[in-house]
Amino acid sequence: MNRAAILWRVASILVAAGFIAAWQLIANLHLVSPVFLPGPDRAWAALVRGFSSGDLASKLFGTLEHMAYGWLAASIAGIALGALIGSSRMMRAYVAPSLEFLRPLPVSAIIPVAIAMLGLTQGMALFVIAFGAIWPIMLATIHGFAAVEPRLYEVARSLQMSRAAIIGKIALPSALPDILAGMRLSLTVALILSVVCEILAGLDGLGQWVLLSARAFRSADLFAGVILLGATGYLTSIAVSLVEQRLLAWQAAAR
Amino acid sequence: MSVVARIIEARAARRQKTLIAFNAATLRLGGKTIIENLDLEVRPGEFLCIVGASGCGKTTALRLAAGLYRPTSGAVTFDGEEITEPRREVAIVFQDYGKALLPWRTAAGNISLALEASRVPARERSARIEALLRKVGLPGHADKYPTEMSGGMQQRLQIARCLAQEPTTLLMDEPFGALDAMTRQGLQDEVLSLTQASQTTVVFVTHDLDEAIYLGDRVVGLLPHPGRIGIELDVDLPRPRDQLATREHPEFLRLRRQLFDFIKASEH
Repeated sequence: MNRAAILWRVASILVAAGFIAAWQLIANLHLVSPVFLPGPDRAWAALVRGFSSGDLASKLFGTLEHMAYGWLAASIAGIALGALIGSSRMMRAYVAPSLEFLRPLPVSAIIPVAIAMLGLTQGMALFVIAFGAIWPIMLATIHGFAAVEPRLYEVARSLQMSRAAIIGKIALPSALPDILAGMRLSLTVALILSVVCEILAGLDGLGQWVLLSARAFRSADLFAGVILLGATGYLTSIAVSLVEQRLLAWQAAAR
Repeated sequence: MSVVARIIEARAARRQKTLIAFNAATLRLGGKTIIENLDLEVRPGEFLCIVGASGCGKTTALRLAAGLYRPTSGAVTFDGEEITEPRREVAIVFQDYGKALLPWRTAAGNISLALEASRVPARERSARIEALLRKVGLPGHADKYPTEMSGGMQQRLQIARCLAQEPTTLLMDEPFGALDAMTRQGLQDEVLSLTQASQTTVVFVTHDLDEAIYLGDRVVGLLPHPGRIGIELDVDLPRPRDQLATREHPEFLRLRRQLFDFIKASEH
């Protein structure tokens, strides 16, 4: 890291520290009632207490589980469907209008449908999360497959590569930057929908923890849950970015 | 008869034969006639250059020979067999090396693609790759990505990938069109030495008339709209060719003048 980069990093940490200090100040001055707004000190204490009793860890694990399963299901289905649609011009022409109708549909609108059909179950949560998270992945995959350099297909033809080899060695790696970007986007969607499903269906997870804490006016616990959710979103996104950098090292070489 | 005389005779007999033949080949694309009634024969082992003004269908003719297009009428044959799809013994070098190489694979990985396609066992690949990189003058660049290489190096890499197919015929579509003059001359000599040694048949499309005469055993000039043969020249210049001596040879200059006059006339 060079000097300028270090300075920028320090500045960003200072800004974050400033926000926390302002939060503490507002809490200490009782600008907002402590019933609703705990200071960062109390939120931190609640976080430590929650983890030492083991409650919070199990809730965090519940949310991570919902998120991971839904996201993985969305990724597998999204890449498979996207590849199928994106690699054929005819499929794109047939399916695109239906996709355009389904895509802007708010996922929250299908939750009642999912509950009616699947009940307040883990299966319902998996379906809702996967349904919401599939769009960024599938649309990115379609775009990635449609944008493969035609010259590469000619190279593949002159080498007499099999259809499977063309998909695995040409189309998929070429679409990978798009696919990974879509997967990163849908990670956030999966987290949001995990929390929504936990709140609506009372499934074990941070969503439920946050809801129950709010109802019991345990604001410190509430904030501990919110902070944990923020950290989950941040850290999973960083993890995917790291994988992305690793897989797309060849793009860095181009710069 | 002496051995030498017999070899010469055998070679002459082979040259009489036809490897690739266009028989009244016509290609229409989107209502436009790109090539009409093209009759052309490529002899085994020869270096044939195709030149012509833009729009004369020289690239299209190459794509027909590669099996990437099929003629609307007439036929294109390889060794007497109609070409319906690309075949392993025929490799094609595209002009736009930047698009024809896989940017996510290293130089070694790009060559490996051809070896994988011909089902070369994994343990034999690295030795073959190394030999091919050395052959095209890229030793030590195995781990570089195409984007880290200059245009000339990328085109060498594409040629190496084509050679990995072990082709008997090399189709080259303006391979040096995007390179600077010095790089271009170096690559011309390398392609000559690579293909002459292995008796590879080459069909070389270019818009550079000097290049065509310098490289070719024969030069064919096409007329545009629609593409058809306008001129056919035998190049009787001694081999190996030399960038200075060959280009100063009176025969070179005579052919150059003839070809220039033809192209000029074809543009009217």
